[in-house]
Amino acid sequence: MSLLELRDVTRTVIPPDQPALTILNGVDLTVESGDRISIVGRSGSGKSTLLNLLGLLDMPTSGLLTFDDRPVKSYSSAARDRVRGAQIGFVFQQFNLLPGRTALENVAMPLLYAEGRSFWRRKKLAADMLEEVGLGNRMESMPDRLSGGEQQRVAIARSLVRGPRLILADEPTGALDLDTGSSVMQLIDDVATRTGAALVTITHDPAIAARARDHFRLDRGVLTRAESAELAAESGAVS
Amino acid sequence: MRRAFTSLVGAVIEAWQELRVHRTRVLLSLIGVAVAVCSLTTVVALGGIVQQANQELSERQSGRPASLFVSAYSNQGTAIDSATMDATWAETLARYDITYGSRVMQTAQAVPFTTGVVDVQTQAVDQPYGEMHRVRLTEGQWFTDEDAAGLAPSLIVNQIFWERLGSPELRTHPTVELGAQGGRPGTTAVIVGVYPVGSYETEPAMFMLADQLSAMTAARPSAVVQDPYGGGGSTRYEMWVPPAISDQLMEVVKRDFSSALATPGGGTGGIQVDVYRQDYAQYGDDPFLVTKLVVGGIAVLVLLLGALGLVNIALVTVKQRVREIGIRRSFGATAGRVFFAVMMESVVATIAAGAVGVIAAVLLVQNPWTKDLIGQGLVSDFPPFPAEAALLGLVAATAVGALAGLLPALVAVRVKVIDAIRY
Ligand SMILES: Nc1ncnc2c1ncn2[C@@H]1O[C@H](COP(=O)(O)OP(=O)(O)O)[C@@H](O)[C@H]1O
Ligand SMILES: [Mg+2]
Repeated sequence: MSLLELRDVTRTVIPPDQPALTILNGVDLTVESGDRISIVGRSGSGKSTLLNLLGLLDMPTSGLLTFDDRPVKSYSSAARDRVRGAQIGFVFQQFNLLPGRTALENVAMPLLYAEGRSFWRRKKLAADMLEEVGLGNRMESMPDRLSGGEQQRVAIARSLVRGPRLILADEPTGALDLDTGSSVMQLIDDVATRTGAALVTITHDPAIAARARDHFRLDRGVLTRAESAELAAESGAVS
Repeated sequence: MRRAFTSLVGAVIEAWQELRVHRTRVLLSLIGVAVAVCSLTTVVALGGIVQQANQELSERQSGRPASLFVSAYSNQGTAIDSATMDATWAETLARYDITYGSRVMQTAQAVPFTTGVVDVQTQAVDQPYGEMHRVRLTEGQWFTDEDAAGLAPSLIVNQIFWERLGSPELRTHPTVELGAQGGRPGTTAVIVGVYPVGSYETEPAMFMLADQLSAMTAARPSAVVQDPYGGGGSTRYEMWVPPAISDQLMEVVKRDFSSALATPGGGTGGIQVDVYRQDYAQYGDDPFLVTKLVVGGIAVLVLLLGALGLVNIALVTVKQRVREIGIRRSFGATAGRVFFAVMMESVVATIAAGAVGVIAAVLLVQNPWTKDLIGQGLVSDFPPFPAEAALLGLVAATAVGALAGLLPALVAVRVKVIDAIRY
């Protein structure tokens, strides 16, 4: 049983007054619990589009996308939203924290869409999560008072606070310097390992990609497996 | 069920945080709503107060719905014997179990004040009259059984009368000598109550009990002075009955009176009996309908203008928040939830603004200056702030919030998540 599966997935958009544009073409990918997957590719190769599909934010134009072996098409839109909220955590390149809300409120935000204990105890859960990413002393800080690395830690705490089974990171270190980037990646890795969550990281940094076990390369909408992060990145350089 | 509850609470929390973050903008937009709700509530409250004042005034003059009057006269123009009339009246009240019935006689009584003797307009009535005409007193109380049984006549005088006596404490049982003239002693009467006057009234006036007036007149016929106001000393017979049975009652009372007054030999031919209704509700239509419609129309217009401003600002706000909505959606917020949260923002905010507006309206209407302005000469006793006006203000604020929230909520739902979080 796989967590997430893509079979011959195509994503086509038809921009206004222009011919159809195929962004993803015949993509096959299986994500199991505990997987560490990296996807590298140049800008515009379709990485974010792929991640949106993995995160159930978008639907394939053709092909099969399943979550927990169930075709995503068979979910209602609200059910898809709820599965996403409960099972998937996003980490974005530009952090995407809510401005004007404290770190604590930002981390507690996903729990507003939970039920029962998680909902009612969201303050406590969020505080614990912030402790875990080393920001126990910055709970009441607004995002604009935090450094880039700190903001990304808050974003990581937010993506993990509901205990997702899949973590999707879209260039998580793209806006950070080298050292901060690697410590942030270490943090994501650690938490994913501890909770047994699968981690899919999109990056164009080979050093970040090297942390994964399975390496993929996306080139003009075509996904191919590579033996190593170096090979994935190199083949990109060659083409 | 559990999900519905957490969704509701969650949406309110979200809305509240949102309002807190956009404090200034929200405050600015809400000023309009608060002002609109304040005007609506004020206008409705003032309308209600003026209407109530009008109604009370007309009730004081021509009775509460339904008030029936009985009059009888002979075709030859001779007066009907008042003893016979009184007896028939008493019988009729007893037969139909009518609690609220009163005779009303307009007379004048000579009252010696320090400035000289004045013929004071006097209404002689029966005890139920106070309730029937909602007579309100500022001092003392309406005629009691004890007053009726007392040997000395009791008087309820108006404010002017009382003040001319130097505003004596009623506890001290102040008295006046009715009909005292030229050293001749009059009848001692006790003042038991004081009623307020409109500012257009300048003369002393008073109420006394009809039976006590008759007793006094019988003892000393000269006590009755010709009524200077044209009442002619004739008696009016008045009853206050449930409107539902008033038509039926008018017929039977007329029949009973006609047969009771018929002369033994001559049948009813020589006697004309009339039973008629005179209160403001007799025409069925609400006489204040037009006022209500005009006032309500203006208020709704004002509120709609407020709502328009709110929609405008809410729309701008939502457009600036597309990204935030996308982020929330990617963390599990359903479209329905986003719709509801945006709607709640508007509702929570307008309810708060509505509360402020209602409070402002209460302060506006209930201050002494306004009371003076509208109460002038009309309302002796200013009615309290109408609760339904306050309620209407809050309901209108909520409705406007929901209405103004609808459009932004629809816009929020249509936000494309992937476009919203793309940088
Ligand atoms: N909705 C869309 N309409 C038109 N073009 C799109 C749309 N979404 C993505 N694209 C195009 O598809 C390509 C891949 O986009 P994206 O997945 O964001 O690439 P990456 O994240 O790898 O940079 C880009 O050229 C982008 O301009
Ligand atoms: Mg991208």
